[in-house]
Amino acid sequence: MEYTIANVAPIFLAPFFAFALNCLLIKKAPKLVDKVSVLGILVAFVFAIRIAVDFTGVANTDYYIHKVFTWFDLGETFKIDMGIYIDNMGAIMLLMVTGVASLIHIFSTWYMKGDVRYERFFLYMSLFTSAMLGLVLSDNLLSVFIFWEIMGFCSYSLIGFYFEKEKAGYASIKAFMTTRVGDVFFLLGILAIWHTVGSVDFVSIYNAVQAGAFGTTVSFLGMEVGLAAFAGVCIFLGTIGKSAQFPLQVWLPDAMMGPTPCSALIHAATMVAAGVYLSLRMYPMMVAGDLLNLIAMIGGITAFGAATIAMIQTDLKAVLAYSTISQLGYMVLGIGVGSYNAAFMHLITHAVFKACLFLSAGSVIHTVHTQEMPEMGGLRHKMKWTWIAMWCCTLAIAGVPIFSGFVSKDRILGDALYTALHAGLGYKYAVPALLGFLGAFLTPFYMCRMMFLTFHGKPRDQHIYDHAHSEHLKLNQNVPLLILSVFTLGMFFSGSLTGLGKIPAPVVPTEWFKTLVDSPTNNLERFSTYTKQQFGSVDTRENRVLEKTVYDSEAMTGYAGPNPDNKDGLHHAHVEGAIASVVIVACSIFLAFLMYIRGTIDPGKFVKMFSGWVTALKNKYYFDEIYIDVIIQKGLLKFNNFLAYVDMGLYDRYAIDGWEKVSRTLYRASRWFDDNVVDNTVDAFGVLAKTGHAVLRGLQSGLIQIYFIVLIIALAIMTVWINFIV
Amino acid sequence: MFLNLLFLTSALLTVGCSVAVLAVKNLMHACVFLLGALIGIAGLYATLGADFVAVTQIMVYVGGVVILMLFAVMLTGGKDHVSKTQKLKSLIPAMGNKTSYLIGCLTALVFFLTQGYLVSKLLGSIEVQKQVDTFSPTVQELGELLITNHVLPFELSSVLLLGALVGAAIIARPRKARPQYEEEAEEHH
Amino acid sequence: MFGLEWYLGISLVLFFVGIAVILSRKNIVAILLGVELILNSAALNFVAYSRFVTQNLDGHIFSLFIIVIAAAEAAVGLAIVIRYFQINNTIHVDEAKELRG
Repeated sequence: MEYTIANVAPIFLAPFFAFALNCLLIKKAPKLVDKVSVLGILVAFVFAIRIAVDFTGVANTDYYIHKVFTWFDLGETFKIDMGIYIDNMGAIMLLMVTGVASLIHIFSTWYMKGDVRYERFFLYMSLFTSAMLGLVLSDNLLSVFIFWEIMGFCSYSLIGFYFEKEKAGYASIKAFMTTRVGDVFFLLGILAIWHTVGSVDFVSIYNAVQAGAFGTTVSFLGMEVGLAAFAGVCIFLGTIGKSAQFPLQVWLPDAMMGPTPCSALIHAATMVAAGVYLSLRMYPMMVAGDLLNLIAMIGGITAFGAATIAMIQTDLKAVLAYSTISQLGYMVLGIGVGSYNAAFMHLITHAVFKACLFLSAGSVIHTVHTQEMPEMGGLRHKMKWTWIAMWCCTLAIAGVPIFSGFVSKDRILGDALYTALHAGLGYKYAVPALLGFLGAFLTPFYMCRMMFLTFHGKPRDQHIYDHAHSEHLKLNQNVPLLILSVFTLGMFFSGSLTGLGKIPAPVVPTEWFKTLVDSPTNNLERFSTYTKQQFGSVDTRENRVLEKTVYDSEAMTGYAGPNPDNKDGLHHAHVEGAIASVVIVACSIFLAFLMYIRGTIDPGKFVKMFSGWVTALKNKYYFDEIYIDVIIQKGLLKFNNFLAYVDMGLYDRYAIDGWEKVSRTLYRASRWFDDNVVDNTVDAFGVLAKTGHAVLRGLQSGLIQIYFIVLIIALAIMTVWINFIV
Repeated sequence: MFLNLLFLTSALLTVGCSVAVLAVKNLMHACVFLLGALIGIAGLYATLGADFVAVTQIMVYVGGVVILMLFAVMLTGGKDHVSKTQKLKSLIPAMGNKTSYLIGCLTALVFFLTQGYLVSKLLGSIEVQKQVDTFSPTVQELGELLITNHVLPFELSSVLLLGALVGAAIIARPRKARPQYEEEAEEHH
Repeated sequence: MFGLEWYLGISLVLFFVGIAVILSRKNIVAILLGVELILNSAALNFVAYSRFVTQNLDGHIFSLFIIVIAAAEAAVGLAIVIRYFQINNTIHVDEAKELRG
């Protein structure tokens, strides 16, 4: 199959053109706006299906497309190429983003119906999706950064969509400013890489890592830091900001101030996925910088900490927001323990079930007009389809076997267990693994708590329950949920229902995901053979046979650190991890069942028992307070005041006002000069002209014959002169 | 012999009529004398073998310009403001006072003498062809010259003529008492 | 046979008579008559030189252009005269001194 740019570009351009067209239509033909947006994303979806099938349909191959064009060229030293780079991972990512975004768009036509700014919502959604698709297609960090910032803007606009509400405005500013902290470091990391490699596209960076170009050190704040570590930390800080990792997780819970479909888009398909996707792309650099332990630690802390906060939330969307942070923590933990493949798989599976969860929550909220779970209860009688879809997703996120969350999360946990116990890496990795398993205990608990409080038991607020409409199967309300809930089954991703397929899989379809998504560190040398092609050229899909046809340890973990030759250990770890997970999940769900359905255990007892901790949880571990009261009030505000003093008190007062005095004196001098010297000179010319005029006007009699006489006399004199004198 | 006769007749006609243009009071008569002078010049052209120029002279000048002059004279009344107190002024109309008359005469004399001297000097310096060609028709050769060597002035003169005609038509066109733009300017005040 | 000097003499006489007409007449049309005389004296010179000196037709061409330009000048000049007469009801040359400084 031939690949021209026309096969690939519509994925990004269709939503983008939908956005551009909607900008024009929004005033003139507002009824068309939602249709244009949905159509745009569906076109992108069709193209993405084609690419994904084409890329992943063949066993044991890793295709890639790398097309570039020169964006601008300022000579040898400063030449910037832009382009697209798709490999198997990118193809799967495109499929996920377009698919989930399409369903979210369709759901939005129901959810946002009748909203005052219905059209504007679709405008932002199209731009948001196109930016994410552009980011996935990007072949270099610079264009990733551009799309990254466009997404930042879109999230800002969508979170503050109901800007009449004061909290929404603050939440949008908070999201923008918090991610900005990460973005600054990301840009710093890009500059460091550029300075070293001279290029920022992924393949060049892989090649530079392979060639050891990152072995040098840079001086940062007086410290000698390894360049790979420095750039890796900077880029990972970008991920922390965007994917809401500890300690920059504060913005994501507030992001639920936006409309629920936009939360679904931010939490599932686009914004937070971009951060993890970037870390996966830059994985070789994280390995080269020896950052994996740090990453694993941050992932573990986030996964556990967010899960604890989610336990005591009463707002339906807040529970989901913290669960997102927690699941993102698992992805980062997966990167940290070297399970590249599983982290990416968790990104995909999480996107599917989290989109479904948020859309279901939107469905519930739109029906009962409240977000507070204590006011709900018993809704399963009224919202049967939503109830089914949401249970599927809850089981998936909880990690119940058969469902997708089990497949991906269990692999991450298995790898964490392996690195902690069997890899011979010491006990550096024990803490992340422990935190991961604790989080795995809490996740089913808070999710089931949410489900029980919302759908089960008796209606706690009879008035709200009576006013909720009974649900009928609607094309744009329930069908997207049901489609998404189908894909929460694990077999779509693992090929076997349990996900524990230790199958030797020479012919791939059963274990396609594990085989086809390959960590770049597995074989870094291969990137030196990769070629770039110009945009116009045809058939640029290059083929590369994956060596990893069998499921073995190195390929499984993708871990390129001290490479342990311990396949038994890996196997043991995974079996242990899986058994532990299943037991943990079962306990957890049973506990939630006892607490919220049977009522045999009173949650209040636990609240009393851990009252100090619960207070901390209610205040979200005081992160907002720390940031605002300590860092901003005590630190940045002081610094700001000092700078303001330098600017206003010193610079303005002495430099600017002093200059005013100088210029005032100069002005007086030049004014004197102007008044006396220049003006008199001008007047003198005036007098001269006046006198000359008085003389000359006497000659101008206006009588033509006089002129003629003068002419004749002059001619006569001239003739005489020429003939007799000269 | 015929040539000599033609030359003498034409020369007399030219000089006599031109002096009469200067001398007669009536402007209409002056125009008619100019007509005579121009015909005389056409005769002189003929003695020089310039047949085409002679015919053009008669057609354009006699047929066009002088008729135009006559029209102008008739349209403007043909009055010439002559003071009849002085005899000299009656002979040479519209002369001013004595001073200007003297200056004019002196200049004219000096100028005339100088020019005569110049002419004689010129005649001494240039080589005059004693053996002049016999006459031959010049029309074809002139036509060829006009569209080859002199084609640019030829075309330019056509543009000039067109411009002159259009300009003359615009200038002489009867107009309203007040042009339109003045009214517009007044409306603004 | 009458040679070049005769023609030059006639031309000279025409030239000075033209100047005299321009200077002495007070009617603008009469001044234009003088201008025609001067133009003709020049044209006569061209043809005479062409006959007796250069012996080609360039002089004829010049005199033709002189005739053309004289015609154009007469048309525009007389148009101006008529216009002037329509406005001021006179064509006395001393009355026309709007350009006096």
